[in-house]
Amino acid sequence: MRYPGKGRGWLLFSPWILTFLLFWLFPLIYSFVLSLTDYRLLSTETHSLGLANYGKLLSDPDFQSALKNSFIFVFGTIPFTTVISLGMALLLNNRFRGRSFFRAAYFMPSITAMVVMALIFSNLYSRGGYLYLLAQMAGLNPPANGFLLSQKTALPAIMAMDIWIASGYYMLLFLGGLQSIPLELYEASRIAGASRWQQFRYVTLPLLKPMTLFIIVINSIKSFQVFTEIFVMTKGGPLNATLTGVYFVYENGLRRFDFGYASAAAYIVFVIIAVASALQFKFLKTEWTA
Amino acid sequence: MKRFRCILFYCALCGIFAAMVFPLIWMLLLSLTGNSSQFTMANFIYIFSANHFGLYLANSVVVALIVTAGNMLFCLMCGYALARRKIIADRFWFYTVMIVLMVPAHIVIIPIYILMTKCGLYDSYAALILPWLVSPIGIFLVRQYITTLPQSLEEAARIDGAGELTILFRIIMPLCRPALAILAVQVFMTSWNNFLFPFILTSSEQYRTLPVALALLLGYQSIDWHQLMAGSTVAVIPVIAVFLIFQKQIISGITAGAFKQ
Repeated sequence: MRYPGKGRGWLLFSPWILTFLLFWLFPLIYSFVLSLTDYRLLSTETHSLGLANYGKLLSDPDFQSALKNSFIFVFGTIPFTTVISLGMALLLNNRFRGRSFFRAAYFMPSITAMVVMALIFSNLYSRGGYLYLLAQMAGLNPPANGFLLSQKTALPAIMAMDIWIASGYYMLLFLGGLQSIPLELYEASRIAGASRWQQFRYVTLPLLKPMTLFIIVINSIKSFQVFTEIFVMTKGGPLNATLTGVYFVYENGLRRFDFGYASAAAYIVFVIIAVASALQFKFLKTEWTA
Repeated sequence: MKRFRCILFYCALCGIFAAMVFPLIWMLLLSLTGNSSQFTMANFIYIFSANHFGLYLANSVVVALIVTAGNMLFCLMCGYALARRKIIADRFWFYTVMIVLMVPAHIVIIPIYILMTKCGLYDSYAALILPWLVSPIGIFLVRQYITTLPQSLEEAARIDGAGELTILFRIIMPLCRPALAILAVQVFMTSWNNFLFPFILTSSEQYRTLPVALALLLGYQSIDWHQLMAGSTVAVIPVIAVFLIFQKQIISGITAGAFKQ
């Protein structure tokens, strides 16, 4: 029997190798190299700066508020998204007519382009927009120029939108997790006289842990990277109120073309994401196995 | 008591439904009305005649179709190599996927921007298409599917003297149709909605896709929400149509992907 040589296997696999090298590995290394220089778009000569960019960043008040906003964004959205999506999944995990219809509807925001969602919410949040009027009717006294033009409400408004959009997606993952729990466990616990709450507490929750961990990690990686909604809705403003880490990278790298400085900022954000995911894995794992 | 519970259940269900669907309905309503509150198609006519939405739409369609076709071909090749030539690529594959999962797009975008500019590909279809021709999720889907197929067919063909490419395209590809369908739908939707890369790697109108055009429109001083929402509707409809048709496959694809990770 003639087996193809090793070379053929690599050849078949080469599209991925090329894509990986060109668009992932090379940029990853190159941006670190850039971060050690003062390379700009039109600069005639480039100097090596060592770690100076990093030092400058840590004392840059813009970057500080960008990091602060990123953390607020992540810690402010994830608990809500997780609980709401779990609630939605529990609701849909019953047998009833029209289940797949509701599931599709709940999932709809997640498949819609973020740009479009951000546009719709810009309208809803603007002065005289639907949500604005609703807040007014509820006597909440919304800021005069709409939610997105006030320093106090701009970031929470975008966070609320993100919770709303992401819930449907994570609901789907939770639903998958719920359906993989064997029904016998529920039956056994019912025979043992467990109430519905006890079933949830001692059967559902423990068995959902791996999925919850996965969701929290994925969601925080994604939330650290918010860009599109910020660009469309506020461009980082008003007065840096919605400036996030990734928006800072864009602003410095691709608007001011200060590639070195922006790459250093990108690396700091990357390290934060990596450390945060590692910590979550460690913390949540020990918490749960204990 | 049971009845009360049932009513409560449906109330919650419908309440969430209303909250989830409302913004999209709102978009549709705004796009179909003008300054008078009568329904009209004027906004759609306007964006296609006075604005270049025809061009943006064509760009989005062309890019999404080429990216989808590329993924079907290349993910098939890579998935096959992984499933059947295990020793060669498994390690490499594992590490590359870990890196791709961990590395955020914002860290690679500046080098890719410089790379594209240096190669003279900045602001071209190539810039929109090249980075996306093969996706790890697609390779993963195909690999999983091929490992469930019996090897006897391939071996029989090999004994008959069929070459590796014949086996791949004549035997494996037809068998992989379900996996390729899921792959195509997912890749199409992702490409269609893609914003960051097209936004940064192009600048002229000629290569502008729908999401980029919409995001830039809001930047202008006077916003006509009705026209903007008409443009948004155009951008949303294909994705929702594809989703409603292939709902089952898409949902199973997403949950499967999450479990394997």
